[in-house]
Amino acid sequence: MSRLNSYRELEHLREQLRSKRKDITTTIMICGGTGCHASGSQNVIQTIQEELSRQGLDSKVRLCVTGCHGFCEQGPVMVIEPGNLFYCHVSAEDAFEIVHLTIMQGEVIERLLYTDPVSGRKVRTESEIPFYVSQDRQILSQNRGVDPCSIEDYIVAGGYSALTRVVNNGFSPEDIIAEITSSDLRGRGGGGFPTGRKWIECKEAHGDEKYVICNADEGDPGAYMDRCVLEGNPHLVLEGMMIGARAVGANKGYIYVRNEYPLAVKHARIAVDQARTLGLLGENILGSSFSFDVNIARGGGAFVCGESTALMASIEGKVGEPRPKDVHTAIDGLYHKPTVLNNVETWANVPSIILKGSSWFASKGTERSKGTKILALTGRIKNTGLVEIPLGTSIHEVVFDIGGGAVNGNAIKAVQTGGPSGGCLPVGKFDLPIDFDVLHEAGSMIGSGGMVVMDDESCMVDVAKYFLTFLQNESCGKCLPCRVGIDRMLEIITDITEGRGRPEQLDLLEELGDTISQTALCGLGRTASNPVLSTLRYFRSEYEEHIKDRKCSAGVCKALITYMVDPEKCNGCGVCLRVCVHNAITGNKKEVHVINTQLCQKCGICRSECKFDAIKVV
Amino acid sequence: MLQYVNVNIDGAIIKATKGTTVLDTAIEYGICIPHLCHVPYLSDIGACRLCIVEHVVNGRSKITTSCTLNVEEGMVIRTNTERIRKLRRNLAELLVAQAPNSRAIQDIAVRCGVKEVRYPFRNEDCVLCGRCVRVCTEIWKARAIGFVGRGKDRHVDFPFGIRPDFCKQCGSCIQLCPMTIPPCNGPMKPGEERLCGQCESQMIVADQIPGSCVWCELGEGFACGRYA
Amino acid sequence: MSHQSLEQILDGRRSQPNQLIEVLQDIQENYGYISEESMKAVSRELGVPIIEVYRVASFYKAFRLKPAGKNVLTLCMGTACHVRGARLLLDQATGQLGVEPGEVTPDGLFSVEYVNCLGACALGPIVTENGSSYHHMTPGKLRKLINTLGSYRVEETQHVSTQ
Repeated sequence: MSRLNSYRELEHLREQLRSKRKDITTTIMICGGTGCHASGSQNVIQTIQEELSRQGLDSKVRLCVTGCHGFCEQGPVMVIEPGNLFYCHVSAEDAFEIVHLTIMQGEVIERLLYTDPVSGRKVRTESEIPFYVSQDRQILSQNRGVDPCSIEDYIVAGGYSALTRVVNNGFSPEDIIAEITSSDLRGRGGGGFPTGRKWIECKEAHGDEKYVICNADEGDPGAYMDRCVLEGNPHLVLEGMMIGARAVGANKGYIYVRNEYPLAVKHARIAVDQARTLGLLGENILGSSFSFDVNIARGGGAFVCGESTALMASIEGKVGEPRPKDVHTAIDGLYHKPTVLNNVETWANVPSIILKGSSWFASKGTERSKGTKILALTGRIKNTGLVEIPLGTSIHEVVFDIGGGAVNGNAIKAVQTGGPSGGCLPVGKFDLPIDFDVLHEAGSMIGSGGMVVMDDESCMVDVAKYFLTFLQNESCGKCLPCRVGIDRMLEIITDITEGRGRPEQLDLLEELGDTISQTALCGLGRTASNPVLSTLRYFRSEYEEHIKDRKCSAGVCKALITYMVDPEKCNGCGVCLRVCVHNAITGNKKEVHVINTQLCQKCGICRSECKFDAIKVV
Repeated sequence: MLQYVNVNIDGAIIKATKGTTVLDTAIEYGICIPHLCHVPYLSDIGACRLCIVEHVVNGRSKITTSCTLNVEEGMVIRTNTERIRKLRRNLAELLVAQAPNSRAIQDIAVRCGVKEVRYPFRNEDCVLCGRCVRVCTEIWKARAIGFVGRGKDRHVDFPFGIRPDFCKQCGSCIQLCPMTIPPCNGPMKPGEERLCGQCESQMIVADQIPGSCVWCELGEGFACGRYA
Repeated sequence: MSHQSLEQILDGRRSQPNQLIEVLQDIQENYGYISEESMKAVSRELGVPIIEVYRVASFYKAFRLKPAGKNVLTLCMGTACHVRGARLLLDQATGQLGVEPGEVTPDGLFSVEYVNCLGACALGPIVTENGSSYHHMTPGKLRKLINTLGSYRVEETQHVSTQ
């Protein structure tokens, strides 16, 4: 394909590509994302490809290897159109039948259908799956028909139409900003800052050299929506950045991808190369006066580099230490030039706002939180995966209608939102709508969209300890309140989880958390106490139980629990005795075994090996 | 040609030089804002957070460090509100609990109103104020020391832990270090650490005129900007 | 590990201080760790003070300053994996091998590292080992994996079944 010199040539190319696919009767979309890849989708893809070739079906059947569909636990996942047939847990051995029975004869293979864990029934089509039904997959659905390594797929699907609109002079930079501003799009990375306002500030800042940056650092543990979007549809993100650059007057951009996402880095690089070849990046894009190019920068393994000034320092080749932001980065950013930094998902929303209009976007959501948001729903529920919902949907609906409720019949206790900067909300607050301001007031936040569901086997004090440990590891260490404050909070919580807690420590924890949140230099420090403060607010009784009764009801805090063999269930098979690495279990064959609590280190091996669930935690 | 802006600090309308920080302006005019990592002739990094003030914008207060905030026309700053005093006190408490074996740190704690220390004392050799690193980098340009590692592991070190030959042993790093000034009654042994409270900054006077300079010297040889 | 020489890595990046992290990443990928010699060379060629190179190399978790073991076990400690018991896996690995995260066993066979989220949360707890990943891990499965890997003396690592 050669360079496109005008938007008409782009439309012509689109027509050409579409007519080349006229003879395709069936499309098989197989997920090649990180999750399905780990479940073996590569073999499935290869065997299906071979079988299709062997049957001479290459010209009629299109095999599209897509990015992540967001339903990783069911992987490898496959959707066949027409018919919207959904197959899950597909293995290479199924390839022959899929080609011969389904593709060639239109028959459905029952065993590959998805079984709804709530009703127990098999579901035929993707659109009927309860997990997908309550969602509004504006961005995620775009992953389905597109091979992330193919710019042709993106163009056939309508891609780069929004770019066309903004470079053929129908849409001035002021028009773009007006559209984004009236859509009320707020940053999807955690800050929730009004995107339009950020762009105006950058546009009006002094300087002829400006930058746009895509923050794909996605450091929140438990969040992988940015990976999914960037891996699965990098051109969507690029198009958003091009529009943003046009709006603020930037000629250079960066996509900053965390080190731990090699596939996202690879796909982003391929996408940039392909866009350059077609002249969609570079000088005089589509024959206009707009020039813009993008480079990929890799993270070095630092959560703090998700913070804007630390990210920019990292691109500059320095350590990721944040600096004070009394002057916004929109004015003084990368290399001290005006810079717009937005999250992957924020950029991904831009093209459709330009194409469908701000009123369309603003028709979804609440008063102050418009549009849809992708959440990473994980934890102790039946359906985990990536979920896209209109903002304003209640937590209850996400956890129960989409998530399918608790796994193993346990009682759901809390939901943790917003990653390490967020907080835990109890079941009593599940009627709250997922809205930037509402969650913030409740002591948590939407953050980047991570939502971890916890049941009564999770100890909330342990959860606070987990996040503090994480943040202590990731703190850059420059400022006192974060470096020392988090350490002291962790010291107190460790005392509590190890049975040395004192009642006055709870008040100290609150005061210290409050101090850190007001005095820390950057967002990491300022939100570091959220997990502690929110669990203290809603689960104080658990803290008190650890302190007063030296007890951990959830059975997690090692110093406060004991492993015991249940005499009712133990049949003396001897497996636990053999696997115990601390020689803490004794017993004769066919007799109830006994754990020596002095030697037991509560490592969990015996529990995971016992087939009769005979080892309990008290 | 120097340009001036008018700023409101604690109710006083002050003619400040454009391009200077709120901290420098306040100290110049005798309004004391406690600080540790600030040194008049070095860059400001806002690491110790002691110099925090309330920056009032549109009726709302933002807490920010005065050493990194440049003066602007019409700015409204409050250095000694109840909220600031409490935050500063808590920060100083954290600081002295980390390093009680320094007179400078003990003085700061008293100056910031710390009356009790609710954390177990530790005996760190370094409070990571960065004065040494900055003087080596900015004044002597030797770049023989720097901050290495991250988070709890952050510490000052030579490259690869060995003093390089381009360190000319000028001693500036030692001169500026707050940890080289032992407490008045001598170094405290482990287990015997306490808040000494005997600073010549005379807390009683400071209590009566909040924010005013009490010529406290924050530890001998450790003079703040008023002595530069 | 692909093999680029230090010369090749520095090519086109000389006198460009902002390429420091990219250069160190390539060195890490090619040599498995960043040696003192390579840091000195980078300092010279890129025009970055040696203390800065050392600073950056010690700040980012992606860079190792000492060689790793033959089998690098990376455990995901993300929230979703944590809620499914990832902590117990870390205890199992450090206990069985007798090393702390970041250290290498005396025989040079194993090192344990942890990472704060691999982005495959639905399949957790996850353990990766030199390119292969294992999901839905339990302390028992990890113990078996370590024993099996330890018994291999060959150069190539092999995907091990944990069923």
